[in-house]
Amino acid sequence: MTLLTVDGISVRYGQLTALRRASISVKEGESLFVTGPNGAGKSTLLKAIAGVVPIREGAITFAGTAVAGKAPEDIARLGFSMVPEGRDVFSGLTIDENLRVGVGMRADKDAAIRDLETVYSVFPMLAERRHRPAGVLSGGQQQMLVIGRALMAKPKLIAIDEPSLGLAPKVIDDVYATLLKLRDAQGLTLLIVEQSSARAMLTGGRMVLMRSGEVVLEGDARELVRGDALKKAYFGYGDH
Amino acid sequence: MVARKSVLARTISTPIILTLILLAVAGLSLWVNNGIFTRTIVEVFIRVMVVVGLYTFIGNSGVVSFGHIGFMCMGAYATAWFTIPPAMKKYSLRGLPEIISHNQLSFSLSITLATLFAGIFAYLFGKILVRLSGITGSIATFAMLAMINTVYSNWETVTGATSSIVGIPRKTDLWTGFAGAELAVIVAYLYAISRSGLALRSARDEAIAAAASGVDIARERLKAFVVSGMILGAAGALYAHFLGVLTPDAFYLGLTFISLSMLVVGGMNSLSGAVVGVVVLSAIIELLRTLEKGIAIGNQTWALPHGTQEIAIGGVMIVILIFRPSGLTRNQELSWSGWPFSERSSRQKSSIKDGVSEGASA
Amino acid sequence: MTEIIQIIIDALSLGSLYALGALGIALIFGVMRLVNFAHGDTIAFCVFALLWPSIDAAAVVFAGHLPTVLLIPLILLIGAGLSVLSEIIVFRRFRKANPATMMIASFALGFVIRYFLLMLYSSRPKSINLWESLGESIGFLGARVPLLQIVTVAITLGILGLLTLFLKRSRYGLEMRAAAENFTMARMLGVRANRVIMLAFALSGMLAATTGLILVTQTGTVDIQMGASVMLIAFIATVIGGLGSLTGAVTAGYLIGAASVLMQVVLPLDARPFRDAFVYGAVIVTLIWRPNGLFVARSAKQRV
Repeated sequence: MTLLTVDGISVRYGQLTALRRASISVKEGESLFVTGPNGAGKSTLLKAIAGVVPIREGAITFAGTAVAGKAPEDIARLGFSMVPEGRDVFSGLTIDENLRVGVGMRADKDAAIRDLETVYSVFPMLAERRHRPAGVLSGGQQQMLVIGRALMAKPKLIAIDEPSLGLAPKVIDDVYATLLKLRDAQGLTLLIVEQSSARAMLTGGRMVLMRSGEVVLEGDARELVRGDALKKAYFGYGDH
Repeated sequence: MVARKSVLARTISTPIILTLILLAVAGLSLWVNNGIFTRTIVEVFIRVMVVVGLYTFIGNSGVVSFGHIGFMCMGAYATAWFTIPPAMKKYSLRGLPEIISHNQLSFSLSITLATLFAGIFAYLFGKILVRLSGITGSIATFAMLAMINTVYSNWETVTGATSSIVGIPRKTDLWTGFAGAELAVIVAYLYAISRSGLALRSARDEAIAAAASGVDIARERLKAFVVSGMILGAAGALYAHFLGVLTPDAFYLGLTFISLSMLVVGGMNSLSGAVVGVVVLSAIIELLRTLEKGIAIGNQTWALPHGTQEIAIGGVMIVILIFRPSGLTRNQELSWSGWPFSERSSRQKSSIKDGVSEGASA
Repeated sequence: MTEIIQIIIDALSLGSLYALGALGIALIFGVMRLVNFAHGDTIAFCVFALLWPSIDAAAVVFAGHLPTVLLIPLILLIGAGLSVLSEIIVFRRFRKANPATMMIASFALGFVIRYFLLMLYSSRPKSINLWESLGESIGFLGARVPLLQIVTVAITLGILGLLTLFLKRSRYGLEMRAAAENFTMARMLGVRANRVIMLAFALSGMLAATTGLILVTQTGTVDIQMGASVMLIAFIATVIGGLGSLTGAVTAGYLIGAASVLMQVVLPLDARPFRDAFVYGAVIVTLIWRPNGLFVARSAKQRV
């Protein structure tokens, strides 16, 4: 079952075209790895799906609903959970409060309390500090917190922008291990954006490559990383 | 120097067109040839000075000032001190130094001194205030206005406190009003094309880039602040000689609101916007004022209730801010080569959108 | 000693008024970066609601006759209603505008409200006696203190307590604090923007109503300008407290109240009429020294 379809969307910031007729689709329970050089439009793609930046053309369907033009909170309420780049924790709120922000849109408040304990068991370092302000956490812990926070919203799909940015390799491994566990155990759908394609080896699944606002290559993640079509497309040789 | 000359050549049509507009306004007054209407037109000229003065700081620096009417107050009271006949001010304004209370200066000398007086205080306040930007800067100018108003409303022996002071020679006529407005436009224009004006506007649009290229924002802002304060001081002085009577509350929130709305409606970032805003809003105000007084239809008099004027202006201002935040002129200058309503440059667009829009979208 | 108690009570009650005003402005600034110049006129509007519209010099008391248990909720409701209406009709269209544009728009809206009152009630101040018994003095720790001052301080502390409880313990409070820090992120977690913003406006309107009721009980007059001076100080308190910080706004409100009362005592007799000028001067100096306010909000720091 296709959970998310992005069909030929374009986004412009003033004179600058950030996305040009980009299309992707994600099936339920799979992971899609989106990679590409700086400025390829990867973050814009996620923001457009989340409803944070307006699209000029094209259509976006999530969980059977056309979401283009909808408010971010309405898209979130359909089960699209976004973890933006730069780990936007609410630094003045406690860790516990951060995790509970997204619970507001859930009908099953009792289950949410159980989920909170599950998140704490997945990320024990958060449990230890649950009543401290989130601002005191390190970068890696903040990344855990925002993933935990996204999970608390009980999403169908989590979209993560640059989960490994600024993190130590060991921490990145932990983050990915957690994500994959959630995918395989709970059927969570993942949409991961990374500038480096190296981690696609870990996730497996499908992968797309973006450059200059367009989707230029699509295929099986592990195969693409092993071959050299990816490298060529990434740096832009071969198509002239 | 060569570069400066070419700036002059490229932009000279703007002050010429604005002069023509002012002349047309004066001509209208001559044509109607009615004492009350002429007084209205003189008031329009004084408003042109006020709003052009505001533009000189707000338009060039991008910092919205709520405080400049304070300098108008200073200019007005200064010229009152200098020109009220000594026989009167000896009793009404006992606290004035002897050299002022025993003498009476000529109209032109007094206006000049009043302008300088406002300029000195603009320098002193500006020295502190120009270091603040954005909302903090705006609130600080508001504090300045309140401060000036408090002093003028309470200094019994020097300003007459809240009671009005009388006896100011009513010397401002149509042509002095025109001269004042014209001079204000020329000064504002010259400042806008000066090195300082250009630097300040580039800093307004691209603060970081301008700072990196060595623009001392605080210093350039101070220059604009003083020039603008002096224009307002002169406007205040002419206004005093127009009214003949002064109270401090004439120079407070009400006037700040009306003048800021004129600037906003015209287009905050352009000199032409300042003039156009005054002309358009003054016309609306005049129309509403007439309707508030009442017009006779048959043997019935039909009048709008008091307050309609301000409510309408507030409404116009909000509507303009929603649908055309760059004002009637779209922040463009009037010129031969490009009529603002047809031309839109990309440079100007960036200046409207410079603020961070952190707010949510509906 | 009794003099010192009197000064402390004076400072606390003046500070309470400023703190309530500042809180009303800071709440809205927190969620939509709007410096709401219409707040002062909302205060005046709530007070005028006590009277029946009439341009006569004598006040025609209307809602003011209601028993207290009905009067207070009614005025609070009027404040919240006007404030929410301002949001729906005007401010909603400025969500994407820059803060300076929004500020000017609120300035214009304030004038519209003010002249609407002028239209209905004329610009003449009117007198009204509300809760006259509060004007009496009572013995308090050996000093004679007007009951109203004690009540003002108590009510303010009560409101601060309730608001803190609301923000810290309730679902909406949590959403509001999250939205104040990072609105976009909060929305991506399903927080409904319109609801949070309208709630902030409603709370702010109720604070305006409270401020208005305290003011009118203190002065006994109703005047279309009555909100302006409190609003001005309230703004200053919000900026000094660090834009976006509620605690900062309240603290700065009390600080300014204390500074005003102290100056009234310390300044030589000749300079006392200029007390407010000294307060404004002190404010400007403070801003130069700490442009981001005394207590910088975390969210503000993040944004710069």
